[in-house]
Amino acid sequence: MATRKEYKIKLISKELLNADTCYLGFECPEIAGTAVPGQFVNISAGTVFLKRPFGIASVDREKGTFNIGVKIVGKGTEQISKFETGMEVDCLGPLGNGFDFEGFGNVILTGGGTGVFPINFAYETLTSLGKNVTVCEGFRNASQVILNKPGYVLTTDAGDTGIKGTVIAGLDTLNITDPSGTLICCVGPIPMMKAISVWAEEKNIKCLVSMEQRMACGAGICLCCTVKVKDDGPDGFKNVRCCKEGPVFDSREVVWQ
Amino acid sequence: MSSSLNVNVGSVNLKSPLILASGTCNFGRELSEYYDLNILGGISSKGLTIKPRNGNPGVRVAECDSGMLNSVGLQNPGVHYFIENDLDFMKESGAAVIVNVAGHSFEDYVDMVTTLDLHKAKIDALEINLSCPNVKAGCMTIGSDPEAIKAITSKLRSLTDLPLWIKLTPNVTDIKATALAAQEGGADAVVLINTLMGMRIDIRTRRPVLTNNTGGYSGPAVKPVAIRMVAECNQVLDIPIVGCGGIADYKDVVEFMIAGASAVEIGTACLVHPALPVMITEDLDKYCEDNKLQIKELTGTLQRW
Repeated sequence: MATRKEYKIKLISKELLNADTCYLGFECPEIAGTAVPGQFVNISAGTVFLKRPFGIASVDREKGTFNIGVKIVGKGTEQISKFETGMEVDCLGPLGNGFDFEGFGNVILTGGGTGVFPINFAYETLTSLGKNVTVCEGFRNASQVILNKPGYVLTTDAGDTGIKGTVIAGLDTLNITDPSGTLICCVGPIPMMKAISVWAEEKNIKCLVSMEQRMACGAGICLCCTVKVKDDGPDGFKNVRCCKEGPVFDSREVVWQ
Repeated sequence: MSSSLNVNVGSVNLKSPLILASGTCNFGRELSEYYDLNILGGISSKGLTIKPRNGNPGVRVAECDSGMLNSVGLQNPGVHYFIENDLDFMKESGAAVIVNVAGHSFEDYVDMVTTLDLHKAKIDALEINLSCPNVKAGCMTIGSDPEAIKAITSKLRSLTDLPLWIKLTPNVTDIKATALAAQEGGADAVVLINTLMGMRIDIRTRRPVLTNNTGGYSGPAVKPVAIRMVAECNQVLDIPIVGCGGIADYKDVVEFMIAGASAVEIGTACLVHPALPVMITEDLDKYCEDNKLQIKELTGTLQRW
């Protein structure tokens, strides 16, 4: 009996990016062939019960491979970081809705933390499409900086590398001449995305944010990972599934906590 | 799938004992992206209320050993939206349509059953949820009191000819008393069990992981509790039992049926492997073939010491 979107994926590469973050490459032609930036996969994490969601960081459609970045924050991510190359794990994907770049000549990719992984996939996709892309990323300090490329605007809270300040200080250095033709795509911690969405709204620039919430199934069936969005109904908001209606939302739809 | 998986829950004929449990499959549409729902015995809808509900705020899931706590809080689009948008999809899936009915008061349940009875041609059974631990009123409050269970069941019995399955909470001292109350009220079956109430605490912040503080524990960890309750109730009930709690493979299905279940519901394991029912169905087919039996022959064959 055929099943869909549920695959055994094989770990083919593993690289340590800093003290607590690694970069894993998996073989899965079905996921690599169809994934778009902003989508994620849900991966079995050893002995823990639930799968763990990760934004897709890169794909190689010809080789049928894709990458994710894993920051060790608990039991599940620790076990994933110890996976050995050659081993096969259960995976659902690609899941959720990615970024829609259609109609925008300029795209600003911004965020921080593990958000730099989906930003990397968006950067690779947009540059291959010949779009005008600017990347602005914020980190706590120099030791946290990962996947940084020449030409990126870099900020750190500590100021030990790049511009001192939050990612907003980096965005302020950009010369935006065509706000209506510009799109901001943002992946990072919730307070950072909230600040960026306020910044974007002041500049009248459309802003897409990739939300996160504690997730169970990733398949839209448990209703655990909900995000609060504006609604005309009696409550003034509704809870929608991060995994299914998201994870990418227009920042103006989100009810920020 | 072979005919050896046919079972009956009272008057309801199912082509397989496997039913998707309420709250773990929405209305089936998302899972149809993974496999053909026609292999299932039935689908139990997300718990429905008269009006749409946004459910609980904040963090709704906390992982535990061999399972999870949830505190979704009956988020659902409301019964009228369901009838307009989801009921036909469920009917056309080929699986039996079980509609899970929730409420906050006696009157809510009456309104729900009256409304759904108008669409009885598309519904195979109503699963009356007297057991959700994540809402402040109704559900588990009613479902902990045998007198209230009997009263509400007999009232609903008078409103519809649709089979009434009463889904009970394990958060009681004597499950036999609540199950018998459902039977005395005129239930066609009982569904055992809903989630066990639990809590997890973040030791750094000393706050509960769930914003609702408590939630319902489900997954393989609760299976022994559910099996015990099915076996206990099977000794005293005349009506059939639908077993539910921690099923993750075909052996679990067989175990529940030996304990006394006529059919089973599978839920939390599908959150980890959405297409699990496909594998379980294949394995059950093979089990029946290897053992030269009809799956229904297993029900209540427990040999106690």
